[in-house]
Amino acid sequence: MLSRLVFLPASALKSSGSLGAGLVQAGRCLHTSPQTQAPVPPLPEKSGKVRHGFIPEEFFQFLYPKTGVTGPYVLGTGLTLYMLSKEIYVINHETFAALSVGAVLIYAVKKFGPGIAAFADKLNDEKAAKVQEVKDVAVKSLTQAIDDEKKEQWRVEGRNMLFDAKRNNVAMLLETNYRERLHMVTNEVKKRLDYQIQLQNLHQRLEREHMVDWVEKNVVKSITPQQEKESIAKCIADLKVLAKNTQAKASL
Amino acid sequence: MSGRRAALKAIDWMAFAERVPNNQRTMFNNLKTRSDAIAAKLASLPEKPAVIDWNYYKTMVAKAGMVDEFEKKFAALKVPEPVDIQTATINNQEQESNKNAVAYIEASKARIGQYEQELEKFKSMIPYDQMTIEELNEMFPETKLDKEKHPYWPHRPISEL
Repeated sequence: MLSRLVFLPASALKSSGSLGAGLVQAGRCLHTSPQTQAPVPPLPEKSGKVRHGFIPEEFFQFLYPKTGVTGPYVLGTGLTLYMLSKEIYVINHETFAALSVGAVLIYAVKKFGPGIAAFADKLNDEKAAKVQEVKDVAVKSLTQAIDDEKKEQWRVEGRNMLFDAKRNNVAMLLETNYRERLHMVTNEVKKRLDYQIQLQNLHQRLEREHMVDWVEKNVVKSITPQQEKESIAKCIADLKVLAKNTQAKASL
Repeated sequence: MSGRRAALKAIDWMAFAERVPNNQRTMFNNLKTRSDAIAAKLASLPEKPAVIDWNYYKTMVAKAGMVDEFEKKFAALKVPEPVDIQTATINNQEQESNKNAVAYIEASKARIGQYEQELEKFKSMIPYDQMTIEELNEMFPETKLDKEKHPYWPHRPISEL
């Protein structure tokens, strides 16, 4: 129960480091000499067990061997009766006030205690979770960073490929250029030879046509009017024979 | 005719692509496109030029000796190979990049050492619920409250609470 009290106003209590106020700090302020550098054990989760809200369990265990289970209760009853009968404790109106206040207090604690305890626990857990998250995120990002660095190193190893590619490109360009040159030379030589052949052909054609024209012109010139009349008569006779033949064929 | 060409090294483009970091991917793609274009151009050209049929021309061309002269000059002709000026530059670039790479790997290892140190610090930390405030301030100096600058609780400006 007390451990929860510690965490509710968390840093306030603890910042009074050297003063050692409160039960919690009491154990630790003994660790002032340098010999006790051992890590502090964790705070207990629950406070010491008590019976009836205020009597420590150790008292009952202390009396158990001698008086058994009922011992402390008998002691308590005896003491109360002694104080009442001998009027060491006098009953007055304050007694009733105390009894009423006590009743209300006990009722309140029994009813609302667990709720408030849970609330305080939740606050505590949230704080712890937040801090834990900070740690987790930090660890994760560091491992991620280490992996990334390793990956980048692996990547750097591949730098040779770039230069191989470049050299290949250069070699291919040179080879292409060389081949283009060879082809160009061959083509040019071929073109010139072909041109010569074409030229020759052209000459021959022109000569042939010229000769044909000239022969034709002379032949036409040499045809005399007499020959012309004879050839026309022959043509008409031929045509008449042809006409008769076709007429005969058509009537058949 | 094909003895002078340096043998082309086979490049594994897939493995190369894996090693390219993301911010250099466009450059890699451009390089690949260019290389493919050059390779395609090379493949489209036949290795030996077409053979000239000299006998045919000898019979066809009337001019005496022209074809013979052409044939002689053609056989004697040596096409000059293109001069390679870039390989030296590329080799220099490679040397430089090797140097840079070594430096980068050194720096990278230093960084890894740093990260591992911090990781160690976190891993060997005592659990939060067993720490004291002094130990917390030791581990994370930014949590230390400046008692000189702000002598009164809460030892930090109210706006930062």
